[in-house]
Amino acid sequence: MRSLLNVLVIVLSAALGLVLIGVILESPSPARVRLSEEVLMQIGASGVTHPVTAVLLNFRGYDTLLEVMVLLLALLGVLAQMGKQKRENPPAGFYLTEPRMQVLLWLARVLVPLMVLVAGYLLWAGGHQPGGAFQAGAVLAAAGVLLNLSGLLPSWMEPAWNLRAGLVSGLLVFLLIAAAVMMTASPGLLLQYPPASAGMLILLVETGLTLSLGLILAGLFLFLSGDAIDDEADK
Amino acid sequence: MFDPVPWLILLPLVWGCLTFLTGVGRGGRLVLAGLIIQLVLTIILARQIVMEGARHYAVGGWGAPLGVDLYVDGLTGIMLLLTHVVALPLVVYARAYFSSQAEGASYFWPLTCFLLAAMNALFMSADIFNIYVTLELLGLAAVGLVAAAGSAGSVTAAIRYLLVTLLGSGAYLMGVALLYGTYGSVSLAVLEPLLATTEISAAACLAAMLMLAGLLLKTALFPFHFWLPPAHGGAPAPVSALLSALVIKASFYLILRLWFDLFAPLVTTQAAQLLGGLGAAAILWGSILAFNQTRLKMLVAYSTVAQIGYLFLLFPLMTSAIPGAAESAMQGGVMQLVAHALAKAAMFAAAGVMVLSAGKDDIALLGGMSSHLPLTLFTFALAGITLMGLPPSGGFIAKWLLIDSAVSGGQWGWVVVMILGGLLSAAYVFKVLRQAFLPPVAGIKFKPVIRMLEWPAFLLALISLLLGFRSVEVLNLLGAA
Repeated sequence: MRSLLNVLVIVLSAALGLVLIGVILESPSPARVRLSEEVLMQIGASGVTHPVTAVLLNFRGYDTLLEVMVLLLALLGVLAQMGKQKRENPPAGFYLTEPRMQVLLWLARVLVPLMVLVAGYLLWAGGHQPGGAFQAGAVLAAAGVLLNLSGLLPSWMEPAWNLRAGLVSGLLVFLLIAAAVMMTASPGLLLQYPPASAGMLILLVETGLTLSLGLILAGLFLFLSGDAIDDEADK
Repeated sequence: MFDPVPWLILLPLVWGCLTFLTGVGRGGRLVLAGLIIQLVLTIILARQIVMEGARHYAVGGWGAPLGVDLYVDGLTGIMLLLTHVVALPLVVYARAYFSSQAEGASYFWPLTCFLLAAMNALFMSADIFNIYVTLELLGLAAVGLVAAAGSAGSVTAAIRYLLVTLLGSGAYLMGVALLYGTYGSVSLAVLEPLLATTEISAAACLAAMLMLAGLLLKTALFPFHFWLPPAHGGAPAPVSALLSALVIKASFYLILRLWFDLFAPLVTTQAAQLLGGLGAAAILWGSILAFNQTRLKMLVAYSTVAQIGYLFLLFPLMTSAIPGAAESAMQGGVMQLVAHALAKAAMFAAAGVMVLSAGKDDIALLGGMSSHLPLTLFTFALAGITLMGLPPSGGFIAKWLLIDSAVSGGQWGWVVVMILGGLLSAAYVFKVLRQAFLPPVAGIKFKPVIRMLEWPAFLLALISLLLGFRSVEVLNLLGAA
């Protein structure tokens, strides 16, 4: 019965794949909207010069606002789960006594400051070339994971108020700016940056997001990396 | 003129972030205050829609196709009002519920705020990619709420729910990608005329099938209902109520929108008949399974499977060429949506009180409940009246309109299904009521419950019952264009 179901799923997926290939090879509709041209036409008013950043943070900034909330929600799901399990934190420097770990330790100490620098650069670069808050946040998170794996940063437990504040501060800044630009102009629309200050506001939003996204992404690893205590060990 | 549209999205997001900041299990009072503000905003918005008609809102001031557009019309207004009218008593209920049972409270408040934000954003969105983002937000919030109950069973249900919801939104996203590849836009206002005027492409057909299949999976229409009972039945009662009353309605709302607007040039009468047939199967099969349950919350969850079926009867009824028939089918479908949301929220809330008091989720242990928790049992019965479709409830108006449409359109088969479904729902509601009037099972001790648990549920049931008297206002709002 189960293998029959598997065969059915495989056949259906293969059929869908073939149909998809056939459909994609079909030429696009002649009445197609040329969106990229429109982006390039309006980019002067967006406050940034890189089209991807212009779309993500200005033209479709509303999607981004919801997307970062999705990331926070993913972390909430993880937190809701780990609340049930008791976890033990290996003390910082746990691995450090082993001589072969010295290389890792040295590497981490060299790399992590560089990673922070790279994150700052990516954040700044986002305005005019590929980069931005998501990439910068991911680099920050990777730095956190590296520190944790090399035993320099303990795994996170139930977050205290300062960590919680860090996790949501960037999102709150985004929400605040979204509301502020709406209220200061009249009639203002949600996320309608005034062209003159758009570049500065976008950089502000991205700075906040870099911090919070870095913490959120790092949290997805660091909240789960502590060793769960078995029930038997409890007894 | 003050415009509530952006605030209905921003405010719940702010409450979500703030309640996360205040810490585990806290922030209920903030959510309550926030929801009252939002309810006032939705009432203002509904009045604006009635007075001035439907309108677009260009986020960022760019307008489609470059930016994201929002769109509010009568149906949006009904969905927003319904969401807040159901959520507000449930928040009061949840505060009382988690004060007597801490299990599952951990991140309930931020998750609920994000859930409401996702629903508000989804109802107002006029951009198929933006709708995908709201679907993700909604799905993840709902999974988080199911998982928060903590027992092994609820984690299994949550993971299954997560996989289903990801599969559903994945299929939807594939359809969005196909449409974007073919037409170069994700805005409904741009896509609609393009689909209507150009030759129908294979890509558009495949996209329609993928998007609708994904949404049907999320709506749990028979035979995609397998994930719903464990997820809704296993969650803490306030969560079950939110999910069963509101969350599945969100994906149904999208099916309704896409079917009659974007994909109107593609859909056929046969496809509508197929949806109606699945709906009929859901009504019968869901009701029979509900009757066979031994656990109270599972019975209520299977009743949701059955009641979803009625919503899908409107698709074949809308194909009728007789002018009045299609209109009353739409009205009946929307009334059913509203009435079921109110009644199911009340029923899950009442079931939660009974389970909390008995200490165990088992219908056989309900004996004596009639004298111990008369108000809660009364709530359960009132909600049952709406589900059965007895006058003067909202469910009666809904089924009346649907049957009226079926009769005048000459589609007699659906009338039989609806009457049978009503009888079957009476059977499972009376199964619970009968047990509650029996003498208590020896050795069982009911725990006392606080009154703030009983009254919000009663209020919801009362609204669902009295909806029948005020249905004209609801239908007026629906007709506002």
